[in-house]
Amino acid sequence: MTEQFDVGGVPAVFAPAAGPTHAGLVFRVGVADEPLPHRGITRLVEHLVPAGHGATGTEHTFFHVHGTADEVRAFLAEICATLRDPSAERIVIARERMRSGRPGADLLPMWRYGARGFGMPSYPEFGLEGVGDERLRDWIGRYFTRGNAALWVAGDAIPDGLTLDLPDGERRPAPAPSSAPLVTPACFTGPGDGVAWDTVVRREPRAAVFANVLERRMLQELRDRDGISSTVTTDYEPRADGSARITAHAGAPPEKRDALLGGMVDVLAGMRAGRFDEEDVAAVVALTRDGLRDAESRGGRLPGQAFNLLAGRPVQSLEEALAELDTVTRDGVAEVAGAAYEAGLLMAPTGTGADWAGYTEVPATSDSVVEGTPHPAINRTDCRLVHGAEGISVVSGEDRATVRYAECVALLAWADGGRQLIGPDGIAVRVEPTLYEDVAPVLRDVDARLPAELRVDLPARPADRIPSPPPSPAEPVGRPWWRRLRRRRANG
Amino acid sequence: MLPRMFLRHPGHPDLDPAVAYPKAAHLRTALTGRDWAAGRELLDDAEPVERTSLIQICGRTPEIADLLRGVLRENPADGAAGALLGTHLTAAAWAPRRRGRVRDLAAGLREAERVLIDAAARTPADPAVWTARLTTARGLELGQSEARRRYDRVAAVDPHHLPAQRRMLRQLCPKWGGSWAAAEAFAHEASAAAPAGSLSPVLIVDVHLERWLTEKAHLRADAVRTEVYDAARRSVWHSDFRPTHGWVEVMNAFAVAFGLLDDQPAAATLFTVLGELATESPWIYLGDPAGTFVKYRDRALSSVGGAR
Repeated sequence: MTEQFDVGGVPAVFAPAAGPTHAGLVFRVGVADEPLPHRGITRLVEHLVPAGHGATGTEHTFFHVHGTADEVRAFLAEICATLRDPSAERIVIARERMRSGRPGADLLPMWRYGARGFGMPSYPEFGLEGVGDERLRDWIGRYFTRGNAALWVAGDAIPDGLTLDLPDGERRPAPAPSSAPLVTPACFTGPGDGVAWDTVVRREPRAAVFANVLERRMLQELRDRDGISSTVTTDYEPRADGSARITAHAGAPPEKRDALLGGMVDVLAGMRAGRFDEEDVAAVVALTRDGLRDAESRGGRLPGQAFNLLAGRPVQSLEEALAELDTVTRDGVAEVAGAAYEAGLLMAPTGTGADWAGYTEVPATSDSVVEGTPHPAINRTDCRLVHGAEGISVVSGEDRATVRYAECVALLAWADGGRQLIGPDGIAVRVEPTLYEDVAPVLRDVDARLPAELRVDLPARPADRIPSPPPSPAEPVGRPWWRRLRRRRANG
Repeated sequence: MLPRMFLRHPGHPDLDPAVAYPKAAHLRTALTGRDWAAGRELLDDAEPVERTSLIQICGRTPEIADLLRGVLRENPADGAAGALLGTHLTAAAWAPRRRGRVRDLAAGLREAERVLIDAAARTPADPAVWTARLTTARGLELGQSEARRRYDRVAAVDPHHLPAQRRMLRQLCPKWGGSWAAAEAFAHEASAAAPAGSLSPVLIVDVHLERWLTEKAHLRADAVRTEVYDAARRSVWHSDFRPTHGWVEVMNAFAVAFGLLDDQPAAATLFTVLGELATESPWIYLGDPAGTFVKYRDRALSSVGGAR
């Protein structure tokens, strides 16, 4: 039975569990709070504490440890001491640790939300090198505070003498997902052989069941029947604002990527049409029930309960959770499936697209071009950069990319002179001295107009990574995936 | 057992498939009379291949989209209506292509495909839906592995479904991103797997005629010639051969092949049965289908001392 208590003003939950004591300290801050130039700053804080383990999510960051009561007390004390006064040495070590374990990119958030808020998980950790110690301390001071924390403990009993000597601060509610004008169901083409899909629905038990029924259907159709994909997963991620993100991934060898896309389109259409059985739903509900009971016995429900404390949501008992689960019906799941389909975003494998299946392509070009001075691309007749008082555009054939200074969310500045401006919609414009005529004044103007906090300084690129003009009109050279994301041709 | 047309005196052929298959005329009448209950009953009573063919033939009936959309609004799970509407929209999309409007083609095929996606979601074991989706897959260039997935869905329900096999074969040809090796392998495999006297060995003829279009010497190879005769012996010349739905197209294909091989007696065995039942394909490969049919038929029948 979950018990709520309080440690020096920090709300806490305890549940009896077998085995060693474990405890987690969670803060209401995550990747969605990070401005793009400081992307990675939250995980950097997480890595300041070498003991135990931690995780940085979209909305939450936590530190977690297993051990004796003494070890738990010592761990919590170490976290608090580190957050109160992170030493320069620890920061250096943390940066080093992070370089070795960068998480793989999930591209769906950027295409759904752009280069802000809930779109952040798609982006590289631009802040890892450039964020100074001062800014790191500011970040800690804003988010890693007593008012913005919750604690969970599982074990025989609440260890005596728990204290949390955290700096004072206020509760920071989770940011609201930006309402980018995404026409759904939507699609874009990803860089790999796999398909991915996500959707946003109301946070409720039947939505979690839907995510698992979807996984069952994907396994039955894509793996067991068609033999296209052996790697199928779905995930249900509740959010503080009462919504939930559901994701689905499936991989296949390159020669089967067309069939993978077609198969996934059909699985999703089948879900929308309610083509699943009572049996599928019953099986998932039974597994969920077992999972909840098992989690309860190990304290596995506590992290979610601590997140709920931070969001001001009620802490649900196991009995309440099971009773809610009992209300889930096949028709209820089918209702979720319809809403999930309508809000869906599908990432098609490279070389394919899903517009044929009724998915609207997310625009990868801007609506407008700034007024200003044109700078023709060297050796290309179909491409020019436009430098204006409001911002920069690159026009290449029918593609247009515009970033306005007032809206710019990051300026990447390579030491070799190249610049990239990123707009809130995720569209990027590159100003490359090697590609356009007479571009030196543009570079000076860009550097002068954009505030320092947007700037991400990057080392000079090796010669083969600096774009060079074609000898005759042709496609630009290859670039790292994250610079290619929203601009396939217009940067050239 | 033989249809009435067998007994007709050879005259100028009518290319309308409904001449050989009266049910197609009945279905057309039901559709143009907006009597879906009658149309649906007719399709429900048909054998799988016949049903798919009726849908393919009658999907070309003009101005039936509103009727079918209305049916689907009332009952989205009516797979027959979904397959017919998808086929109708596909046929309508291909039509303007002859005038070079490629953009309209893609838009039309996408519209058809969306209807068919929903039909497949609701009636996943309907071979007519998956057969129609083989045509959209080819037109929308959805790739070889996707076409194969769709074909496998048909084959799981009806392993010798000739309408789907012929579409899969076209997809496997080089023109649509495949290779002659893949296309020939598919034709041999499907032909060998089919029961004796069935229609599927015509796939061997199909692939060789397809290749002949771009390589005129292809039919002169002894191995190819042998394969065509073997195919005929396992199909139209086999004692178990029955005029099941599709037999007219199959006999016409063999007649074209023997005509091109200049084996008049062999061609005559088919023309004698066909009478005036000509099909547009594959005669259209040689020019005006009806005229060419008559020319080849007369040549074959006169060589064996026939009617003309």
